[in-house]
Amino acid sequence: MEAIVLAAGEGRRLRPFTHYMPKVMIPVGNKPILEYVIDALKENGIRRIIIVAGYRKESIMGHFGDGIKWDVEIVYAFQEKQIGTGHAFLQAKKFVTDDEMVVLSGDNIIDAKGLAALIENDAPSLLICESKIPSKYGVVELENGSVTSLKEKPTFAESNLISTGIYKFKKDIFDIVENFVENGKNRITDALQVFIKEKKLKGIKLQGTWRDIVYPWDILDVNAEVLYELPLSVAGTIEKNVTIRGNVVIGEDTIIHSGSYIEGPVIIGKGCEIGPNTCIFPSTSIGNNVTIHPFSCIRNSVVMDNSTIGSYSLLSNSVVGKGCEIASRFSAIEGETKVEVENEIHEIKAGSFIGNDCKIGANVIVEAGKIIGGKCTISSNKVVNRDVPDGSMVI
Amino acid sequence: MCGIIGYVGFRNARNIIIEGLKRLEYRGYDSAGIGIIEGNLHIYKNVGEIENLEKSIPQIDGRVGIGHTRWATHGKVSIENAHPHTDCNKKFAIVHNGIIENFKSLKEMLERKGHTFSSETDSEVIVHLIEEKYKGSLEEAVKKAIKELKGSYAIIAISQLEPDKIVGARNESPLVIGVGEKENFIASDIPAFLKYTNRIKYLNDGEICVIKNDGIKIMDLNGKEIEREENLIKWQAEQAEKAGYPHFMLKEIYEQPHSIMETMRGRISEIEPWINLEIDFDGMDEVALVACGTSYYAAMAGKYMIEELAGVPVDIELSSEYRYFGKKRRTVLAITQSGETADTIGALKEAKMYGCKTIVVTNVIGSSATRFADHVLLTRAGPEIGVAATKTFTAQLLTLMLFSLYLGMKNGKLHANEIKNYVAELKRLPSIVEEVLERENEIKEIAKIIHDKNTVFFIGRGINYPIALEGALKLKEISYIHAEGFAAGELKHGPFALLSEETPVIALASKDRVYEKVMGNIGEIKARNSPVIAIAEEGDEDITNFADHVIYYPKLSFPLFSIPIAVILQLLAYHTASLRNCPIDKPRNLAKSVTVE
Amino acid sequence: MKTVMLAAGEGKRMRPLTYTKPKVMLPVANKPILEWNLINAIKAGLNDFIFVIGYKGEIVKNYFGDGSKWNVNIEYVNQEKALGTAHAIEMVEDFVEDFIVLCGDTIFGSNDIKKMKRKYGIGLVKVEDAKEYGVVELKGKKIVKIHEKMEEPISNIINAGIYHFGKEIFEYIKKTEKSPRGEYEITDSINMMASSHEIEGVYIEEWKDVIYPWNLLELNEEILKKMEGEIEGEIEENVTIKGNVVIEKGSIVKNGSYIEGPVIIGKNCRIGPNCYIRPYTSIGDDCHIGNGSEVKNSIIMNGSNVPHLNYVGDSVIGSNCNLGAGTKIANLRLDKKNIKVFTNGKKVDTKRRKLGAIIGDNVQTGINASINVGCMIGNNAFIGPAAIASGEIKPHTRVM
Repeated sequence: MEAIVLAAGEGRRLRPFTHYMPKVMIPVGNKPILEYVIDALKENGIRRIIIVAGYRKESIMGHFGDGIKWDVEIVYAFQEKQIGTGHAFLQAKKFVTDDEMVVLSGDNIIDAKGLAALIENDAPSLLICESKIPSKYGVVELENGSVTSLKEKPTFAESNLISTGIYKFKKDIFDIVENFVENGKNRITDALQVFIKEKKLKGIKLQGTWRDIVYPWDILDVNAEVLYELPLSVAGTIEKNVTIRGNVVIGEDTIIHSGSYIEGPVIIGKGCEIGPNTCIFPSTSIGNNVTIHPFSCIRNSVVMDNSTIGSYSLLSNSVVGKGCEIASRFSAIEGETKVEVENEIHEIKAGSFIGNDCKIGANVIVEAGKIIGGKCTISSNKVVNRDVPDGSMVI
Repeated sequence: MCGIIGYVGFRNARNIIIEGLKRLEYRGYDSAGIGIIEGNLHIYKNVGEIENLEKSIPQIDGRVGIGHTRWATHGKVSIENAHPHTDCNKKFAIVHNGIIENFKSLKEMLERKGHTFSSETDSEVIVHLIEEKYKGSLEEAVKKAIKELKGSYAIIAISQLEPDKIVGARNESPLVIGVGEKENFIASDIPAFLKYTNRIKYLNDGEICVIKNDGIKIMDLNGKEIEREENLIKWQAEQAEKAGYPHFMLKEIYEQPHSIMETMRGRISEIEPWINLEIDFDGMDEVALVACGTSYYAAMAGKYMIEELAGVPVDIELSSEYRYFGKKRRTVLAITQSGETADTIGALKEAKMYGCKTIVVTNVIGSSATRFADHVLLTRAGPEIGVAATKTFTAQLLTLMLFSLYLGMKNGKLHANEIKNYVAELKRLPSIVEEVLERENEIKEIAKIIHDKNTVFFIGRGINYPIALEGALKLKEISYIHAEGFAAGELKHGPFALLSEETPVIALASKDRVYEKVMGNIGEIKARNSPVIAIAEEGDEDITNFADHVIYYPKLSFPLFSIPIAVILQLLAYHTASLRNCPIDKPRNLAKSVTVE
Repeated sequence: MKTVMLAAGEGKRMRPLTYTKPKVMLPVANKPILEWNLINAIKAGLNDFIFVIGYKGEIVKNYFGDGSKWNVNIEYVNQEKALGTAHAIEMVEDFVEDFIVLCGDTIFGSNDIKKMKRKYGIGLVKVEDAKEYGVVELKGKKIVKIHEKMEEPISNIINAGIYHFGKEIFEYIKKTEKSPRGEYEITDSINMMASSHEIEGVYIEEWKDVIYPWNLLELNEEILKKMEGEIEGEIEENVTIKGNVVIEKGSIVKNGSYIEGPVIIGKNCRIGPNCYIRPYTSIGDDCHIGNGSEVKNSIIMNGSNVPHLNYVGDSVIGSNCNLGAGTKIANLRLDKKNIKVFTNGKKVDTKRRKLGAIIGDNVQTGINASINVGCMIGNNAFIGPAAIASGEIKPHTRVM
């Protein structure tokens, strides 16, 4: 059996983090989302994986290469324009060698156990799960284990069961999808109606974890969730009087300077410098090559690769993208607030979200829930009390 | 500059050798040939790629054989000149990599003794010499033969008279033994047999080895047996796959954010702040940098860096010149990507003989150079397959930056705050290179402007001068467009005559202290109507008044900006070559590591 | 008849000890696991061996050489990549007819090996919990199928890892496809063969396998229990030796030392003065157990020092380690619960109440360093003065 992983989309609702990388490459627990998918496939004995890449495909290819590090064989198919899952799926056709395949999307976290039930079943089948907000997804109705209806984002949901977008198919699916795509119906779900009519598509209830990351604050939730199972494993240099409590992973060549206090679950990547006297509290992921200067405090946050955070800064419930330079005394205030993303209003409790490659001066305060776009420059002593679009300067 | 391989064991030698030659193709590939012993000696040769050869060879079943992929040094590309070469009676066959300097006199001597030569190569004298010296033992004959040779060589010989063995010998050309079970390998490079074994033994200069399927004997020229320890090679042949990219070169360009991080990892600290290279600091009050090719351009850039950041006087020398004419400074730092470049190793040996402290900057752990030098600075860029150096060049630049910062820190030229600022910028380098890679489409547009031109000039001042040279080298080696790099101030002393509307000029205009001067030079060029493409720092608006097109890179201080500029020039060369449909990973007439002088 | 020893695996679950040595070369009672196996096989009358080596195979080869030290013949086959047991056995096809295969990392009794010699078949053993093993489905004496790692095992009879094959097995090995683990497994070949051939199951009695580093301590204990004492080294005055103690040539036990057997001490060790070595301890060659040190139920490999005022209990210490004065290893949780360790990024319950540390090769600790229960320290790590080490510490780490 093979797997086709759809990883071509940008994930606009996750901007600014998808500004330079596709959604599937957003790190949680220092691993791109896609890597959790690959791990789950591998644990289920699937060794040949076709990744359909598109938006910023280089970042996927650069990370996974030919898959040898993961003990799997990865081949790449390309979708030049992101015009639908069905169209993306067809790009993989010429690489498929087996009769049966699992099709899934690279931007959802699924664990091995969840996938196992689907793999054991006959094709065609669909993995479904319960949701509190079904109308945001494809709503599924089930009868005797067969799917009787599948409606994409209906205004009124008839059931609380939704499609995870994870399928098991036989090769014949390609012809059906091809037909629909030729007629301008570009989603896989369109083609599935054929099976649904004949009551052939089985719905399999999920037995494990499935997490969808849609909005920037989902990164924090999922990050906290994946860090839960962390071991206590240290490498690099840990200076005298560093306190490490709970489960903490520290990567090679990282230096933790004296007086720092780290309370797990926390993961810190390779080649970082932390402290002296820096506090890192639970559910925090710090990427590779990150510097966190003395007396700063970080809790329940994600800091991506190559970023620097100055002295006396506070980061709580926040996400900092790749390559940011934040000077000293930065504060990300946490609180309950309303956020607008792609014309939808959400009520959340969070800190702030800072896109890739931002330069932030000293003494900057960002109010709760504010989103700062990629490549912004914010000069010293500013209070950011509204969202800042990509590439802006706040002076 | 050829690839050679020999096999003795239980498998089909033909297939093993063909496969090995394919892995060696990057060393040169104008012709190739193999020799197999199956009862008699069978020789097959062909010109062009290995595929041509493979098609022309029948399935034969010998278990002992040798192979060669040639990159012509003596004599034209023809079937006669392809290896293996045989003696007059077709009893012996050899493959050879290197240059025999005294082949003319040897050839005359052998012809006088009645040998007839069938090729124009220097290599053929070796096999006739072996025939001449043969008295019942192949290794004795090889030993006697090489005593008469002057020059560099790696030789593998077989004979149908002793069909169970192969004999190898080396002097200043690489030759490695692969240790298997009931089979053994010998080749110029490890990838040739890495699929079958990762256990290797190095052969040193002036040594000869006899390899059978059940044993390996290494001797010096006096016949004294030498014990040699086994080394294990960690990387695997499969690492060299393209993983979705159309060319290795593009893959390697895109690997740079990662390779840059690897080069720095564990060597810098922003908070403390320090640079740590774990080399002792004695004798570093004068430095000679020695290198060839692209590495030489890195060395030229290194001179600017070390003199500016550490205030230490620097000589730069081409390895091939240094060996015979160079001044012996107290510290000699050699740069070689492969660690096998014959000229550079020669220069290292020379420096060691004079008691200099030797440091080598290389990408290959365990290579010859690492065994000769006192200190090794690994560039950690990972294996590079594309013939055009990309990530290894930026890794060399970065390693030299770390070296000059280390020197400046140790000798007190740089104070802590300066080190801190440099380290903070270094830490940003991976993201900055990523940002530059994001501009691939802009660069593609520029490539459209130059891809149909016959000549392109690259100009820069200061550290940008060697980067301009490297940019020109990249363009000419893969796109076959005539490209020249100049120090910006030198253009008016002659090359101006060549400027026209059809000769684009790529100007590297960083905001350093010569920025104004470069602007002046661009103005002069503009006056001759040549299209100017400037590579400039972000936020530089003035430049748009002078240049027709501008590619920006994020603001960085000296000397760090040389890295994003180098990446831009790599992408430019790549896309130009791609528009011209050139064979990017295997440019004609070029080979990856140059092991002849 | 030739005997094939499978000794190519790394034994990832044995990390950090296997970062620097293959699993089969880890010592118990001062001999590598593989040597115990070899000795038992020789006792069973076998003398012509093929070792399939792979991961750090040169260490195996250097130790065993051509086998003349044991008066047997040993040849080597190199398995480049860990492609599974079937692949390993396939590599010896050209050299064998009728042959016995032993998993090098499991110790089999000589009587059982003798039993296996008599006819074709597969060794079976009864265990209490079959979850981690290949469970064998039988019909009478005939093998029906070997099931890999069942969640709910259908029986407690498992595949012991000892086989007697004829040439026909290669036919099935060639047909074997990659398993979900990505390896060619001999059990798949056997299952295929079982459908057309009668394969007999042979019950064996003595069987000891090691999976995790702390299993070495259990195996060590078992072997030391059967050992007889022999003192060849020099014993100074006022040394107390009780029970079965082996002290090999060149070692010196200094005044005031108290050794309670079973204990084995290798060559050229310096023991004491005034140290306390308690039962089930194996100390390799060239070690130093110094003044005021106490060692209990532990394995200390060649060239390591426990020199001054140390406590080492229920621990495995690799080669060439040095503990600073006053370094202590805790071996019991304050709440007396089972000790859990982190290994390869996973938490594993050792089911032991007492476990000290597992320390790789070339580790150094400073004065008064404290090492917590169940700590796994990678090779070449550096634990500074008065530092506290716990959890998994990766190779080359510095904890100051």
